[in-house]
Amino acid sequence: MNNRLKFFKIFSLPIKNGITNFQIREYAFKSDLKIKWVRPEKIPCYKPEKSGDFEGFPEIDKTKIQLDFKECKELETADDSVKKLFTLEYAPRRATVSHYLYETTGKVRRHANDYGSHEVIIAKMTGVIRAMQETMERFPRNKKFKINLKELIDKRKKYLKYLRRWDYKRFEWLLETLNLKYKPMPLDVHWITRKDSLRKLTDQYCDNIRKERLENLKLQLQAEQPAFLEEKIRALEFIRDEQKDCGMEITVSQEEIDKVRNQLEELNIRNKKQEQEES
Amino acid sequence: MALQAASKVSMLLGQCVPCIKQNASKFKIKRLELDTNLNMFFPKVEYIYAHDPEKQCKTGDVVLIEQLPQKMTRLITHKVKEIIYPFGDITDPLTGKKCVVGKYREDIEKISKIYGELDSRFKYDEAPPRGWQEDKKDFSHVETYMKYHETGEDQPYSY
Repeated sequence: MNNRLKFFKIFSLPIKNGITNFQIREYAFKSDLKIKWVRPEKIPCYKPEKSGDFEGFPEIDKTKIQLDFKECKELETADDSVKKLFTLEYAPRRATVSHYLYETTGKVRRHANDYGSHEVIIAKMTGVIRAMQETMERFPRNKKFKINLKELIDKRKKYLKYLRRWDYKRFEWLLETLNLKYKPMPLDVHWITRKDSLRKLTDQYCDNIRKERLENLKLQLQAEQPAFLEEKIRALEFIRDEQKDCGMEITVSQEEIDKVRNQLEELNIRNKKQEQEES
Repeated sequence: MALQAASKVSMLLGQCVPCIKQNASKFKIKRLELDTNLNMFFPKVEYIYAHDPEKQCKTGDVVLIEQLPQKMTRLITHKVKEIIYPFGDITDPLTGKKCVVGKYREDIEKISKIYGELDSRFKYDEAPPRGWQEDKKDFSHVETYMKYHETGEDQPYSY
């Protein structure tokens, strides 16, 4: 209680003009620095930028025969108009999608009957995701569809995580062949706030100032180096001569002076080179 | 019972985590600490920096680290002794063969040979060493962050 009273007394004294005439206001502190913060735009989770796909659903040649009738022998001898009826153009969209899935899984298949290896599963998911992303663009208000898509994206990410742990080389090869990106979540996830972002930006700003000033100081010191070395040579010679004249023990050797001279020469050569490079 | 601080233990086994320091790697050290009230062990995680001038440890590797006779810097207290388990490159300790989950790599290749292997399959002999997709498609070697500011430039490490 006593302490608190003392504290109160000190701070309730009438403050004279001078050193103590300021207030520390920590709450609602506003910085004077001219940092402009731009809030990053929110990207929905189903977009390729977030899901990690570098490419979307490609345009597929519609004149191809449907997957189910690809090896049909009767179709080979059939009339052109009949053939046309069995192309992707006259089939529902799911035929095009299944054609695309067959193509994507074909990029990573181990053997003709491979339907269940890790890479084929991930490739198939990738195909489905890309097809769904295209549909999502057309029907952005379909919430169930969006959830399904998000869950599939997350599942693929989980499988990629497992594959990375099991077999790193195959994981990298799969990313390359399917054109995918793997970026782990940051450890501490918090929603973006103005205050926190400004704090980080202020830190960056201060770091930059520090770096710039240090660099300027370095340049300044480098510019002063030749003059300093000349002065050093002169001083050393003076000391040596004085010691000789007074008949005292000579503490400055010729080697020491030569060393400084060499240093000066090297410095001059380096400076000339730098000037030439700049010009 | 309090555990001895990880930075004072002479030898430790840790998992490498992403780190931006140039001549050191960061390790996650997980040990069990006894809670005397409950008489149960609970995991305790600590992070340690170890001197690694060539950056031979990659993210995820399990590495044996050894204490330095003197602290190198305020943070670097250990040095890397041996990489024991490279991440995603598992060797069966009994037979010495490489394996993926529950199967040997040889067996996987034999199976695909029986079915008739395709050119599209992954070939282990032709695969480049780990790390060729770093900064291109694989960003697991860096610490990512939530994007908090729109600079107009591309921020590859932002999530």
